[in-house]
Formats: sequence, structure tokens, C-alpha cells
Amino acid sequence: MTMPLEGVKVLDMGWVMVGPYSGRILSDLGAEVVKLESAKRIDPLRTLGPFKDGVPGPERSLSYHNFNAGKRSVTLDLADPAGREAVLRLVDWADVAIESFRPGVLAGLSLDWPDLSARNPRLIMVSTSLLGSTGPDTKGTPGVGTMGAAMSGASLLVGWPGEAPVGPHGPWTDAITPRFILPAVLAALHRRRETGAGAHLDVSQAEAGLQFYTPLLYAAQANGTSPSAPGLSGAALRAPHGVYACAGEDAWVAIDASADAPWARLRAEVGGALAAPQFDTLLGRLRGRERLDAALSAWTAPQDATGVERRLQAAGVPAHAVSSPVDLARDPELTGAHYARIQDPVFGEGVIEGPRLRFSRTPPRPASRAPRIGEHTREVLAGICGYPPERIDEMEAAGILR
Amino acid sequence: MLSDIRVVELSAPETMMAGRILSDLGADVICVEPPGGAAGRRMEPFLGEAPGLERSLTWHALNRGKRGITLDPATADGRALLAELAGAADIVIEGAGPTAAAPSALGALPDRVIRCRVTPFLSDGAKRDYLGTDLVIAAATGAPGATGLPERPPLFHATPQTIMEGGAEAAIACLAALVARDGDAEGRGQTVEASRRLAGMLSALSIPVAAASGAPIPKRGPSRAKLAEVDLPAILPCADGWVILTLAFGPAFGPLTGRLVGWAAETGALPPRFAEIDWREAPKLAETGALTTADVRELVEGLARHCAALDKESFAASARRLGLLAAPLYDMHDILRSAQFRERGLWSAPVPLGPGGPEVEDPARFFQSAAHRIEVARPAPALSEHTAEILGGELGLAPAEIQALFVHGVI
Repeated sequence: MTMPLEGVKVLDMGWVMVGPYSGRILSDLGAEVVKLESAKRIDPLRTLGPFKDGVPGPERSLSYHNFNAGKRSVTLDLADPAGREAVLRLVDWADVAIESFRPGVLAGLSLDWPDLSARNPRLIMVSTSLLGSTGPDTKGTPGVGTMGAAMSGASLLVGWPGEAPVGPHGPWTDAITPRFILPAVLAALHRRRETGAGAHLDVSQAEAGLQFYTPLLYAAQANGTSPSAPGLSGAALRAPHGVYACAGEDAWVAIDASADAPWARLRAEVGGALAAPQFDTLLGRLRGRERLDAALSAWTAPQDATGVERRLQAAGVPAHAVSSPVDLARDPELTGAHYARIQDPVFGEGVIEGPRLRFSRTPPRPASRAPRIGEHTREVLAGICGYPPERIDEMEAAGILR
Repeated sequence: MLSDIRVVELSAPETMMAGRILSDLGADVICVEPPGGAAGRRMEPFLGEAPGLERSLTWHALNRGKRGITLDPATADGRALLAELAGAADIVIEGAGPTAAAPSALGALPDRVIRCRVTPFLSDGAKRDYLGTDLVIAAATGAPGATGLPERPPLFHATPQTIMEGGAEAAIACLAALVARDGDAEGRGQTVEASRRLAGMLSALSIPVAAASGAPIPKRGPSRAKLAEVDLPAILPCADGWVILTLAFGPAFGPLTGRLVGWAAETGALPPRFAEIDWREAPKLAETGALTTADVRELVEGLARHCAALDKESFAASARRLGLLAAPLYDMHDILRSAQFRERGLWSAPVPLGPGGPEVEDPARFFQSAAHRIEVARPAPALSEHTAEILGGELGLAPAEIQALFVHGVI
């Protein structure tokens, strides 16, 4: 059976997360992805854990595998004219190229959009950086996803009311940006079918994060308010709606039974103080929120979070454990239909995530391991770039293939 | 880029971002609501903090650019018209109802149509019968479990993330199926599914692969580096808000820390001796005792003094000049004022919030390209705003027929 993007060729020049994960989605969808990396300046994601068995090493990062699954890896020195020529041959081959260098770096190597599109007018090129490649503040500005979260407004709004902001988990915009890169790339592929023309798509990670906060941006303008961290989104207008402590260390269950029907089912399941007539109505529950939450917490406290989840779901109440890393690894939905086992020549067996999307006619590519650094350099230089073996030997001897 | 594509969106909170993105890319998106209005119209925050079917700012933000029609799927006419409208579309997007296992609101459609469902949990997984709301699905992603302070409850985002993430992934699924259809000799569509839980798990970053790796399992809390047993700060107060900075060491990050410390020494917030330390080697210096706990405490206090004396803008300008991994925590007004976002062209033409409502700026242009400029063609539809236009124009109904449908509560 074919895959959705069967036949699409991708040159992935990204590193860390935004570029590589965008490439991973394209690979899941069936594209052939070649990742360009450097053995001299290795992808920082290879230095970030979790490492298999907790033993650090550039070929042991499960994060690297998770965001680069299914790709081939080629190492080339872009600063060398012969390395640059090899990249241009990959550009000839590619339908899509992705880069996440600091703005200005590729121009310095004469490998930015004007150079690449002159070489391949059908190329769809993605440039992504913290602030994008235009605007007064962008030149030379390095960026990480924690800065993207800060500049998109999210960091200030994740926290407790009246306290120092906490910010979302990790480099948040690294996770959001690929969701805006992919639709643009796919729409450009659709457009190219009619026009034959490529496109340069310049995506700012801070601007991508802001897309998920537009309701509050509208509120700031229309209501003149300065939205502040709510603790729990939506909680002010709903009850019961929140997280409740369970048995064990840092164990919580999320319950959302504010609407009448799930509320009636929750009440029937829990009984006790929840039966008080005060809680018959939404207004009663909102006004008595502290008592209500205390009663519900007293019920959840001695129970296992996953047990509460199963019990309430069986009773027709929306509830789920606040999944910890261990909960995720054991979750029956994820072990049954999402996680994929990989076999790696360096560390043996590992578990990464499978494709996220489902297609009835053109299923995505099953997940496989990510490449070792430069694992496919010779294969790619011969098969895609068309270099004869003796030329590849020369390039290797000259230190260009690192 | 998608000017030849018609999308029919059976509006649910989780479809709204999908339709919005496709509309931004140039598709003609028709959003279908029941006569009483879509659920998205009841999502806070509200214009003037007063409720009303035309006052939801979440609705306005995620539906601008679309046309709107009402049809009651509980009536025979409503179903027939919906089937006709959907059958003529390229892409049809719907939510899943309360669980992933709930049946579709639509019957069979022609082969060429791409059908997308946004589900809470996977429709082919062990939790297909689970009830999901944004809070509950978000809890299942692993991201809140990693967010917040140790000893305190997990924290969630200030906007409903899983409708945003599921919707954005649905746009990817629809467009991948469109590219597949473009390449298919018979031009066949298919059914695609985006699960909000799996979509949201991306924001948990490496958490989903942490436990099975065999490495120590991370605890909840800002992942904070330590030096000489001292917690290194990330978010610090400044004169008019907060800033985030990165204190890291080694060959790649040490020089950045060196420039940050040098800057603080220049302003007098830190004694000059701190600027002479080789921050690439800081962990080794701490091990050998050349850098003591007291030194690192002094460093942290000095950096706090340094930030406290600066406002967000001057901090940001110097951080850029020095190439630091540091930034101000913007609030929404900072974002609106930012010359960077404005000059780059993030904002579309102002979007009115309903008839007689105020206008707001929309950060519509999530990418910049000479190949396509994102424009917001129209504000979010008022309830049933384009019903007559679509029934008369696209489906060819006579004016009397449209009136009859209204009389019978179909529209």
C-alpha cells in the first residue's frame, strides 16, 4: 500500500527539535528524508536525554530517535566548496528542504533561498528560527524554545495567580511550531502541482506559539485586560473541574464533571458529602467550590489515580490520571496503538513514539530507529548525488565527510 | 495555495483550529452549526466579559475567515442538505462526539472526499470509549504531569491546548490526504483521524519516551540545572515584569554564560572577579572547589539584582546584542507593541468582532512567503450568516425553499 507522501523527497538540515520533528512527520507520512548533520558539531539533541539505560552517548538518545525516526543521515562540511556542491546536489533531488540555522548563517555559506531556488525552482524550503528571518530584532538572535514560550506570551500565563510565573514544560514552542510548518509545506506541495513553482516558507517559533493563545490576545485588545496566569484554565467557570491528589507520590487525577449529566453520575459514584443539596445546581457547586473540592479530594486521596480514572470512565464521568512518565509507558492505549519498538545496533531495543495520524487508504510508515551520525553518507553521495566511489574516497580523505 | 479547495467543517471546539489553518492557506471553509449555534460559541473569554452567542473570543479567533451556515442534522432535510454540501467538498472535518467510538454524523460520501475526524482518544485504541474534555485529555498527554512546581498540583495552559493541538494535527492529516489524492490516478480521498491525546503528547517533548528508556525518570518541576549544589534560576523578576535566562556550561554554552556574567559585572551587579571565570569549565571548577557554593549563591543573587534593575525592553535589547539565550516574558500588550512582530508582518488587517463590535489585530501570518500571503478574508460568521447565500448559491435552492427550511427549524 502506498503512503500519503510516497515519492516526496526531503533534505532536513535542521537540528534540535523544530526542523527535525517536522522532517520526522514528513517521514511518517511516507517521504524519503535525508538528514544533514555534522560529526564535528553534533546535533545538540544527541547530547540530551533520556539516554538508553541512563548511559550518555551521542547514539543513545531516545529523544534523538523519537524526532529523527526513519531518516538517513549524511555528514558534510558545508564550509568546504566540495561539501557545498554535494549539498546542492541534494537540493537538486529534494522537493522539500528544511533549515533551522540562526538567520544569516546560510546566506554566509551562499546556501540560502536565492541560491537554492536558482538551483531547483521547484524546491519548497522551510526556514525556521525563534523570530523568523525578517524584522528588526532577528539578525544573529539565537533561539531556544524556552525563549519562544516567553515571547509568545505562554510563559507568563502558566503559573499560579499572584506568584512568579512557572512557564510551560520545557522548550514549548519546539512542539508547537512543526504543527504550523507542516500545513504550509503540504499546501505548497499541492500548489506546486498546478504552478510548478516552489516556495520559501519562513516560520517564527514565537509567532507559532502565539497562535495557540489568540483568544487571550483578542481579550487583551477587546477587553483591555492583561490576562494573568489562571492556575487551571477554565476552572473559574466550572465545578467540579480540576486535579485531585491520589495515593502515592505526586499522583493526581483530572476530573471534569461540571455539566449536569456527568455531575449526576459522579455524585452517584462518590456519594457522601457530594450528595448535599447545595451541590444540586451548578451555581451551588461554584459557590461551594472549596467544600466540593475538599470532599472530592478526600474521596480520591486513598485511591490509585489510574484506578479512579477507570472507575469514573466506566461510570460515564470524564476523568484521566495526570499521566506521569511511568503512566504513559504502561498506558494500554499507547502500548497497544502508539509506541513502537526499535532495534538499534548500538544499544539494542528501545521504545519511541509511532506516527500520530491515522489514514484509511494510505497508512503512514511504521516507526523505525533514527540513523547513526553519518551512517548513510556514502550511500547518499553515490545514490542521490551521483558521485563515483573514487570521488567519495577523495572527499573522505579531504575531511569533508564529517 | 488552497484556492481550489472547499472545506466543510462540522463545527466542534476541536475542529476550529483545523478549519482556521486551512482557511489561512486559502481554502474556502464553510462551518456548519446546528440552529442553536456551535459549542465553540460558548467558550470563554467573552467580549466585555459578557456572554452571548456572538461574543466568544475563542470562537472569533478560531473561526475568522470562514463562512457559516446552520443546518439541523436531526431533521431529514438537514441531513440531506449536509450530505449534498459535504459530498461536493474536498475535505470534511468533524469532531468525534463524546468518545472516539461514537458514530459519524455523516453517511457515505463520494470516494474523492477526504473525511477527517478529530477524536479525543484513538478510535482504534484501548481508550476509544473514554469521555474526553480538554482538561481530561490534556492530563493524559504527559505535559501537565511535567509542568509546575514540585509539591504543588500540576499546571495547565491558559487556553485549551488539546483543541488547538488536535485541530492543527487534523489540518496536517487533511493536507497529507490531499497530496495523496493529487498523486492518485483515481483521485481518491480517504478517512483520516487526528487524536487530541496523541497530538498533545508532542508538548510533553521527551516525557513519553522517558520511562521505557531505563534512564532515571524526571520529576515534575522546571528542569533546573544545579551548580555547586545551588539551584540555577531561569525566570527572574525585572523592573517591569519577568525575564528568562539560560545558565549553562561546556564548550557550546559556557561562552554565552560568560557574556551574561560579564554584562552583569559591567553594571556593577556582580564583582569583576566573576567575569574572569571560565564558565565553560564551571562544573569542573565546582568539583575541585575552585568555585564554591557561596560563590554560586553570590552569582545567583547578583544576576537577580542585575535583572531587577532593567526593564523588559532594555534587557531584551542587550540580550540580543550579546547573543544570549535570554528573553523577556511578554504579555499580550508587549506582543502587540513589538516592532519585531509588526515590521515582520505578523498582523493581518484588523478583524471586527461581530456586527458593531470592536476591531482586533490578528497574528494571522504564521509564515511569511512570497508564494502566499495569509489574509483574513472575513470576520468569524455570525450565527447562520451565510445560510441563504450557501443554500441559494452553492446548492441552488429557491428563496421560497430557504424560507420553508427556516419555518420548519431546519436552519
